[in-house]
Amino acid sequence: MERTHRLELFPDRSVTLLLFQHVKNAAALRRKAMEGSIDGALINPAMIVDPFQILVAANKAVHLQKIGKMKTRTLYAEIIFSLSPSNNISDAFKKFGISDSDTAVLIVLVVDGDKTVNLADIASQVEGQQVSLDELSQLTDTAKVKKMYKVTPQEEKIGTLLDSVVCRMSTKDVL
Amino acid sequence: RLSRRRMAQEARSLLRCRRAGIPAPAVYFVDYVTNSIYLEDIVDSVTVQDHIYSVQKSGKDPSGFHELAEKMGELLARMHDEDIIHGDLTTANLLLRPPTEKLDLVLIDFGLSFISGLPEDKGVDLYVLEKAFISTHPDTETMFQTLLKTYAATSKKSGPVIKKLDEVRLRGRKRSMIG
Repeated sequence: MERTHRLELFPDRSVTLLLFQHVKNAAALRRKAMEGSIDGALINPAMIVDPFQILVAANKAVHLQKIGKMKTRTLYAEIIFSLSPSNNISDAFKKFGISDSDTAVLIVLVVDGDKTVNLADIASQVEGQQVSLDELSQLTDTAKVKKMYKVTPQEEKIGTLLDSVVCRMSTKDVL
Repeated sequence: RLSRRRMAQEARSLLRCRRAGIPAPAVYFVDYVTNSIYLEDIVDSVTVQDHIYSVQKSGKDPSGFHELAEKMGELLARMHDEDIIHGDLTTANLLLRPPTEKLDLVLIDFGLSFISGLPEDKGVDLYVLEKAFISTHPDTETMFQTLLKTYAATSKKSGPVIKKLDEVRLRGRKRSMIG
């Protein structure tokens, strides 16, 4: 149900994604995330178009962590920040992190190489139903994503929404 | 591998192209440490250069080049109207997505690109392509003519650009290679 990918550019790291629906304790989860007692990035799946978007964010975050140039304080915070097209950290959390009223949560874990991830531990903290990543596209709020990333209509003709999103993510600090 | 500034320029041009609906690869990751950009791989694509070679070699009807030239002219006009100067226009930097017959073009290699509204820069951009055509593809004179015709018809600012192109042609190669 969950999906794990090795980062192509950093094969010593694996990224695991877990998706939950009908979540009842988003507020508690958000608090735990802020306290740092959940070892993962808690993301609002409505802003995610495809797991690749997460991989691109994770890739950038891991890269910055390795060279000591993260803008935030933890790898998981950096992943959330990397998703955002803006350079404002708190804005990134507001838009891409989970809010108290959310009923769906995407959890992203990054582990070293072959270390086993304690998925059961994470999953047990969520009062909700774990579902397959295939459900992600149904949870995406396409209109919101387009607005957030300022995707132009001409752009939509030459590529997928995912392409547009990833372009913005990867070039935000070069502009 | 590019210098930091060139890399930033390339990334900016690519994003600018995409936002304007000009087909260029998507940027996945910009690595400031090794100064490299990770781009979308246009799978199973063919360069316009290779396409022209293979069509000419097979002796098939090259009137197909007329439409290709029109599409190229149109694409370059749109790019220049966004004030994007490619900087290294050759038929090797234009890809055709599969299936080739669809003439779905993608511009690549923006390492020498920059933003400019000057007709001179646009004229030189076209001149570089013209020279590339002449040296790489014999028997394609009408192709570039068609390209220019469509460029002039598509671009709102083409008048001064064509004028500058004519000037640059007269000046010759050395004066036009602006570093």
